[in-house]
Amino acid sequence: MSEQTTNPVGKSVPRVDAYDKVTGAAAFTDDLQFGPGLLFGRAVRSPYPHALIKRLDVGPALELRGVKAVVTGADTPGFIGLYLKDRHIFCTDRVRYVGDPVAGVVAASEEIAEEAARRVVVEYEELPAVLDPLQAIQPDAPLLHPDLGSYDVVPFIFPQPGTNISNVFRVRKGDVEGAWAQCDAVVADTYRVPHIQHVPIEPHVAIARWDLSGEVTLWSSTQSPFAQRDLIAHTLGISQGDMRVIGNYIGGGFGSKAGVSMEALAVAMARQVPGRPVKVRMTREEEFYCCFVRQGLVARVKIGGTKEGRILALQVEYYWDAGAYTEYGVNITRAAGYSSTGPYNIPNVKTDSYCLYTNHPVGGPMRGFGMPEIHWSIEQSVDQLAEALAIDPVAFRQRNCVQGGDVIVTGMTMHPHGLSECIERVAQRIDWGKKEVPSAPHKRRGKGVAACWKAPAMPPNPGSEAWVRFNEDATVSVGVGGQELGQGAFTVAAQVAAEALGIPYEWVRIANPVDTKYSPYEWQTVASRITWSMGNAVKAAAEDARRQILEIVARYWDQDPGDLDIRGGEVVSSKSEQSLSLRNLVVYGLPLPDDQGWIGGPIIGRGKFMPTYVTGLDPETGQGARAVVHYTTGAQAAEVEVDLETGRVELLCIAAAYDVGKAINPEQVHAQLEGGVVQGASSALLEALTFQDGRPVNASFVDYRIMTAVDAPQRILTDFVEVPQDDGPWGARGVGEHPMIATAPAIANAIYDALGIRFNDLPLTAEKIYLALQGA
Amino acid sequence: MLARPGLVSFDYVRARTPGEVVQLLAEHGADARLMMGGTDLLVRIRDGAVRPRLVVDLKHLPGMRDILYQQQAGLTVGAAVTMNQLARHPAVVAHYPLLAQAANSVASYPLRNRATIGGNLCNASPCADTAPPSYVLAGRIVVHGSAGEQEVAIADFFRGPGQTVLQPGQFVTAIRFPPSPAAASGRYLKLGRNKAGDLAIVSVAVLGFPDASAPSGYRFRIALGAVAPVVLRVPAAEEWLAHHPPGAETFARAADLAAAAASPIDDVRASADYRRAMVRTLTRRGLNAVADTIAAPTGSA
Repeated sequence: MSEQTTNPVGKSVPRVDAYDKVTGAAAFTDDLQFGPGLLFGRAVRSPYPHALIKRLDVGPALELRGVKAVVTGADTPGFIGLYLKDRHIFCTDRVRYVGDPVAGVVAASEEIAEEAARRVVVEYEELPAVLDPLQAIQPDAPLLHPDLGSYDVVPFIFPQPGTNISNVFRVRKGDVEGAWAQCDAVVADTYRVPHIQHVPIEPHVAIARWDLSGEVTLWSSTQSPFAQRDLIAHTLGISQGDMRVIGNYIGGGFGSKAGVSMEALAVAMARQVPGRPVKVRMTREEEFYCCFVRQGLVARVKIGGTKEGRILALQVEYYWDAGAYTEYGVNITRAAGYSSTGPYNIPNVKTDSYCLYTNHPVGGPMRGFGMPEIHWSIEQSVDQLAEALAIDPVAFRQRNCVQGGDVIVTGMTMHPHGLSECIERVAQRIDWGKKEVPSAPHKRRGKGVAACWKAPAMPPNPGSEAWVRFNEDATVSVGVGGQELGQGAFTVAAQVAAEALGIPYEWVRIANPVDTKYSPYEWQTVASRITWSMGNAVKAAAEDARRQILEIVARYWDQDPGDLDIRGGEVVSSKSEQSLSLRNLVVYGLPLPDDQGWIGGPIIGRGKFMPTYVTGLDPETGQGARAVVHYTTGAQAAEVEVDLETGRVELLCIAAAYDVGKAINPEQVHAQLEGGVVQGASSALLEALTFQDGRPVNASFVDYRIMTAVDAPQRILTDFVEVPQDDGPWGARGVGEHPMIATAPAIANAIYDALGIRFNDLPLTAEKIYLALQGA
Repeated sequence: MLARPGLVSFDYVRARTPGEVVQLLAEHGADARLMMGGTDLLVRIRDGAVRPRLVVDLKHLPGMRDILYQQQAGLTVGAAVTMNQLARHPAVVAHYPLLAQAANSVASYPLRNRATIGGNLCNASPCADTAPPSYVLAGRIVVHGSAGEQEVAIADFFRGPGQTVLQPGQFVTAIRFPPSPAAASGRYLKLGRNKAGDLAIVSVAVLGFPDASAPSGYRFRIALGAVAPVVLRVPAAEEWLAHHPPGAETFARAADLAAAAASPIDDVRASADYRRAMVRTLTRRGLNAVADTIAAPTGSA
């Protein structure tokens, strides 16, 4: 403990997990050892996008030496899902995507399990498949979930039984029809976003064990230990008290490891072999389409404004290609609806956002939760309208972007925030307005800008809980339920605890791995909510511990606790100028004078946070007092150079600026922004999971290309502003997802500036650009 | 459809002598597969595309990992020489830079530590990076079989995607390259979907050198990868270049001829139209770059 960083909030202290990760000591789920009793599970998966299961014969699999059990849909009749319970753990009568699990084999080795899985006989009757959201919404489209009306669903999701629509979110604000006539320009266009995948460096892995006592333990690479406990326990009839989920470090999640996907398979398999741990892990190929993918989207946008530069009306229809099960994705549709204006103040809005079942892989949460998808259309439409009105895109955004105090699309009053400053900064950093000379005659340069907003998309009441427990030497264990998936959550928790307690940062230890049996509750590590929500809980727990300490010392010194403080790990009195080390007293308490006994004892502080103010929205108009907890806003600007002879786009520079409220750790904020820009740029130029008749054709890194270091923008300039959030710790709000949102449209706008060609469909491959240039 | 989580079991033999290989192949026939770096074979086994009972590792045979260069005889590259070895060998870099460029463009650095030139060629993928340079450098494949050793010109080696002239019981031990023509310059241009690690969707190897017997004073050789079942030489373009003074117009015409000669397919990586157009772009760029460095001819910017 040589370094002593006091008041660490706002300082770029080193990450708490840096040493273990750099040296390889950090344990990931697949590193855990279970001894010779470990069994392995493999899933039998549907080869068809849509079919009925006519016959299932597991006999040939069971005959193979080393096979311990086979589990099928008959063993797991219940439904599972976060917002809409529309999914079986193993299919019962019908498969709905290529990869849908119909059975699971447990065996002594992964190889035997695989061999046995291939021996399970399944006879299917193929059904017509729905492979496009615009097909899915047709009245005569094949119905994927005939029982939609009977599924359990949360109150803010609205399935339409008898259709493929599992949720619809509408906004009716002002008078859109009347507004068009007052517009000096109206533009309309259709945009498409393909499925992409999160491609975490660590594929999904889960190990489950049913003890003979009835306790069930699941070790998984998960963003959501508590949500997995709750959902799996509910579906398999386990008490939450008997279900334990342990989440080690995560090698990247990006949303793919939120909720439950393949983990329930492991638990259902383990039930067949009590006492034996069963490991299930996804191959890279399975990872591409057997867990979650990002939903596809068809967006129809019509937007109009006046020559004074005001956006007057917006009409959007979002058709989400949400895949075979939409248990989680229904809320993406909702978030897209209530954020459908983008970060703009538009008086007249008509939005219809449809969540549509298709026979594609399961659409689920991915970094941005619908926002990168809708901003792809919003931010290009805003540029198109600016051009039609002959107004500079930066000036146009400044004139229309939402301000604190504005009443936004859902009727909620916007809190103070720094979007205008973010737009200004990125424009400045990229020399907006200055034409650049290309590096060669066959190249063209262009600049583009895009703004964005995103609110944590979640139920109204997701809770966070934390504890702070002192050790004898005044080091502190901080218990959290949020997960460290590379984003720096544990470091932020340690900074918050140290700052609130008044002890050096180096004295804090995070109690990990997160274990639902011992760790405090956390809804899920999603939605860019952890710094804000878990941060609040840790702060409250630290303040609780601090209060306990001050009360004891005040009694010991016979002073008022209000005159005492903890600074640098010592209790100090502003009145008597006495000081007292925290060592020992935080466990053993303090002796009363004259050997008359002791006061105090082991210090443990507890804290929680749960937003209590989010209201419902009218299902017909989308209006209500407060749709969300808050929005994080920001902007990006891109400079590109396009090679006219190959179509290849070189990303010369991307500037990004976000209002984070308060940067608890500035270096981590910069790193988040950089990572988001690269992932956003990768989705802009390269990524699409492609299908032929519902079968994925590029489910491997051979043909699903992602950005490498040499493809990344040559310069990434990151920046943040700090307009505090009223209920965030020191004003902080989240920024984990946001850096990915504005990247693709900023690049598309820059390409338009370079070439005069607008691309409506992602990704912007070299081929697509080259062929468009030939057609132009 | 789905790759296996691990490899199915097979027997593995590290061969010590060519004779041992011949014998094993005679004993096991189609059940045996030959392996060098394994970067393709092991993946194909995992994918279930091939299911050998026996894998015979050739890379420890004598001479298989050697690079020999003599000014008179040229270059002999053992079949199990890795891409990183090839890309960094002083003689290759000095006298056959085209080959070094191609080797260095394969996949990623760690894979280049395992992937071999022999494996790259014997897989006979139309997009194999070392194939187009081997064409323009007049490579000869050294084939070992029960009847001993023979040489096959690279142009006669490939039969189609995944197919070569190798007969059961035969295997490749080396690739030989004659000395490069005096003052020759070469370029290997490869287009992937992103800058690093991708397979070629189009690749072009160009070699140019002064030749008094050519009316233009120069000879060029052009080989195209990934745009036909096997690597294509483009005689029409090469002929044109031999008869017309080097320069932008000549090169543009030659590039058009190369594009016309290509017979690409549509697949998940690129469309035929784009591939054909990129043959034109890459050929022209390759010719310009080569012309800039052979004899500094005028008017070829």
